[in-house]
Amino acid sequence: MGLTRRDFIKASAAAAAFAAVGVPVVRPKGAQAAEEGITWGKAPCRYCGVGCCVLVGVKGGRIVATKGDPAGPVNKGLNCIKGYFLSKALYGKDRLTTPLIRKGNKMVEASWDEALDLIASKYKEAIASHGPDSVAMYGSGQWTIHEGYTASKLMKGGIGTNNLEPNARLCMASAVVAFMNTFGSDEPMGCYDDLDLGDTYILWGANMAEAHPVLFSRLIDNKLKHPGVKLIDIATRRTRTTKMADEYIAMRPQGDLAAINAIIHVILRDRLYDEAFIKQHVNFKRGKENAPYGLKDKEVFNETPADIKNLTFDEYKVMMKQFTPQWGEKISGIPAKKIEELARIYSDKSRKINSLWTMGVNQHSRGVWVNNLIYNLHLLTGKICKPGENPLSLTGQPSACGTAREVGTFSHRLPADMVVMNEAHRKKAAGIWGIDPNKISSKVGLHTMEMFRAIDRSELKCIWIQCTNPFQSLPNVSRLRKAAEARKAFIVVSDIYPTKSTEVADVILPSASWVEKEGVFGNTERRTQQWFKMIEPPGQAREDTWQMIEFAKRMGLGHLFPYSEKGFYKEMWEEYRKFTIGVGKDLAPYEAYAKVRGLRWPVKPDGKETRWRYTEADDANVKKGEGIKFYKAPDNKANVWFRPYEPPAESPDKEYPFWFSTGRVLEHWHTGTMTGRVPELRRAVSGATIEMHPEDAKRMGIKNRDKVRVTSRRGTIVLPAEINGRGTPEKGNVFTTFFDETKLVNELCIDAFDPLSKEPDFKKCAVKVKKA
Amino acid sequence: MPVSGIVVRCLDGCADAVAGRIAAFEGIELHGVLPDGLIVAVVEAETVDGEVALVTELQDIEGVISVQMAYHNFEDLEAERP
Ligand code: SF4
Repeated sequence: MGLTRRDFIKASAAAAAFAAVGVPVVRPKGAQAAEEGITWGKAPCRYCGVGCCVLVGVKGGRIVATKGDPAGPVNKGLNCIKGYFLSKALYGKDRLTTPLIRKGNKMVEASWDEALDLIASKYKEAIASHGPDSVAMYGSGQWTIHEGYTASKLMKGGIGTNNLEPNARLCMASAVVAFMNTFGSDEPMGCYDDLDLGDTYILWGANMAEAHPVLFSRLIDNKLKHPGVKLIDIATRRTRTTKMADEYIAMRPQGDLAAINAIIHVILRDRLYDEAFIKQHVNFKRGKENAPYGLKDKEVFNETPADIKNLTFDEYKVMMKQFTPQWGEKISGIPAKKIEELARIYSDKSRKINSLWTMGVNQHSRGVWVNNLIYNLHLLTGKICKPGENPLSLTGQPSACGTAREVGTFSHRLPADMVVMNEAHRKKAAGIWGIDPNKISSKVGLHTMEMFRAIDRSELKCIWIQCTNPFQSLPNVSRLRKAAEARKAFIVVSDIYPTKSTEVADVILPSASWVEKEGVFGNTERRTQQWFKMIEPPGQAREDTWQMIEFAKRMGLGHLFPYSEKGFYKEMWEEYRKFTIGVGKDLAPYEAYAKVRGLRWPVKPDGKETRWRYTEADDANVKKGEGIKFYKAPDNKANVWFRPYEPPAESPDKEYPFWFSTGRVLEHWHTGTMTGRVPELRRAVSGATIEMHPEDAKRMGIKNRDKVRVTSRRGTIVLPAEINGRGTPEKGNVFTTFFDETKLVNELCIDAFDPLSKEPDFKKCAVKVKKA
Repeated sequence: MPVSGIVVRCLDGCADAVAGRIAAFEGIELHGVLPDGLIVAVVEAETVDGEVALVTELQDIEGVISVQMAYHNFEDLEAERP
C-alpha cells in the first residue's frame, strides 16, 4: 500500500537532487500528490555562518521535510550533512519546556511569572547595592538580529551598563578589530561570488571542507570547471581540505605571523607591489608592540591614537627589511623558497587572488595582527575590492555577522560600527532609542573573559546567558565552573536543551528556536535573511525577545519596547534600520526581506543589494570615476599595519612537548548542544578523539584507538587516539574537537587572548601525551 | 522511513567507479551519473540514523569529494517531542 506513496516521495527526492545540479526532470504526477499537505517556508540554515537557504516543510504542526532552497543563491539547492539534520535538532526528547528555579541542589518547575520576578528582583538588588556594572548579559552569534537588538537596547540603553557580550568574542572578535582598524568598517568587501570568479585561493589555517562545506563545494566547482584554478592550503594539520588542494604547506603554530611578514618582505624587496594603488588608497601605521597575553585578571591593554605612529612607505619598507625569507623559515617552518614563491603568487598580475581564513587566524593571541597582515598582502598588491579577488574572513555562527557584529552586542559597540566610547555615537543611539544620552555609559563593559572571571572575583552579581554554552566553551573552564558552582553569582540560562551551562544555573528558561519563531540572521557575506514562524515551540518555551522584554517590564524599562504585538518584528526592524541608513551599512525595509533569499548590504536606494563594497563597479557610495574608495576610513585610505612577530603565550617545552589545538569536524557544531542531540550525528563521529601524527604515535607506542592521557598545566583528559583518520596534525602537534559534552577539552586550553580583540587562543597551548 | 535525495561529487574520472560502489549499497538507489563527476542518488533507511550511516560511508569512498543533500523527507518518523 505504501509502495506508490513511497515511490513518489523518492521521485521527489531524486528530482530535487537533479534540479540542484541543473538537470530538470519532470516528477510523476503522484509525486506532487505525495507532497500534498506540506507547507514550505524559507529560512536560513540554523547551523553555520555560511547561511545556506533552506526550505522547511511543515505538516500538521511538525517539520516533516527539508530541502536545499533551489532559489537560494548561497547554496543553490544543496545543503551539507549538518543541514540534513536541521529540523530534527528541535525534536530531542529532553527539550526544555518549562522554567526551572534552583532550590538547593534541585531545579524545580516554576511559572514564567515566578521565574521572571525572581530574575528582576536579583538584578534590582545587585544594581541597588553595586551599581549597573554588577550585572551582565551574555548572548550569541546564534541570536536573531531582533534578539541581539533587544539585548543591546535593554542593557546599554535601559540598565545603563555595557556588560553585554556575544559568544562571538570567541570566534570573530579579531576579525572585527582588524576590519575596523584597517577599513573603518566591519565586514568584508567581497562576497561568496569571489569563490566562483577567482582563480587562486590561499587558505590560512582553515579547514573549509569541514567547517564551511557548502562554500568549499562552490570553490571546488569553480576548480573543476576551470583547471587553472589553484588552491593552496597553509596549515598545521592535514585535513579533508588538504585532499582537494593543489598544494599543502605545513606551518608551525603562530608561524603565520612570521610567514606573512616574510612574504611582504619579498614583495617590497622585489618591488612586486602596486605603487599606484598604494599611493591612492593606503596609509602606513605602526601600533603598540610587546603586548601581553591577558593571563592576569584585569590586565588592560589598548591601542589608543597616542600609541599609533604614522609611517611613510619608505619607513615601512626599511622596517620590513628584517623579515627575510630565511628568518620566516626559521620561525614558521615554511621553506624560504616557498615564501618567495608565495610572494610571487600574491603579486601575480595575471591571477585573481583570494585569501580565506577563519578560526586559525582569529583564535590567536595575535589574531588582529594576522588579520592585518593578510589585508596588507592585498592592499600592497592592489588585489582587493575586485570581483573574484578579495580577502574573505569566514564566520562560524549563523548570525555572528548579523547580530553580534552589525547590531553590535559587544561590550564596546553600538549598532552599525558605532562604539560606546564615542560621544557622538552615544548621542545618535540615544536619539533613535528615545532616551537621555547620559543613560548609555561611556565605559567599555567587561569582555567575555573578564566577565566570567569577574564572577570568580565576586564582582559580577548577576548574569543572563542566552543561546550559548559558555561553561563548556570557554578556555580554562574549570576555574569558571568552580566559581559558578560556589554560587558566586546569580546565573540565568535560556536555552532549548540542558547543557553544561544549565547545570550551573539558578534559573533555567526554555527558549523557542529557529522556525519556532520569526527572525533574521546575517551571514558571512553581509547577506541578511528573514524567516517567519512555522511551528509552535514545545510546552511553555518562549522566544528570547519575549523573555527579555518581560524582564524589562519588571525592571521599569518596558517603555523601551513599544512595539505592537502584530507589527513587532517589522516595527523593531524599522527602528534598528535607522542606524544603518546613510552610513554605508544600509538595510532594506522589513517587507523586502520576506520576498527574497536575503540581500547583501549596503542595500542601494533602488532596493538592489551590493556584492562588492568600496568599488564604483558595485557600491552606490562610490561615485563613477572614483574607482575604489575606502569611504569608511579616515581620509578614505585603508591602513597597512606594521605588525612584527611575537611568540604565543605558551609553547611546548621539555615537560609539555606537544602543541595542542582544538577545532571542528563536519558532523558537529560547536559544543554539540544541537548537533549532539541528534543521535545519528553522534554516531557518525562518536566522542572526541586526539589526532596524532603517525610517527609521534609510533615513537610512543600508541596505536589507533588506544587510550591516551593528554595533560596541560591546567587540566588532564583521557581520549582515544586517532591515527591516520580524517585529519593528521603535523609532527609535534595534537588536535581534538570541542563538541563532546562528556570531555571538557577546554579545561586544557590556556586562557590567553589577543590583547586587542580579547579573543582567546584555542589553537595553541602546550601538553604532554602519555599512553593511558 | 526517511528518504533523501543526494548529490555525490567525485574526482575527475572517478564517477563511474564510485557509482559502481554506490550501486552495491543496500538502501541507496542510483538515479544518474552526470558529466562533471556528479552522481544523483536516493537514500532510504529505517531511521535517519541509518541514512547517515550510509552517507558517512559514501564520504569515505576513494574518489568522493563531497556528499550533499537536496531533499529530506522524514514525515513518518515518530514524534519525539515531549
Ligand atoms: S554549510 Fe552551514 S549553513 Fe550550509 S547547510 Fe551546512 S551547516 Fe547549514
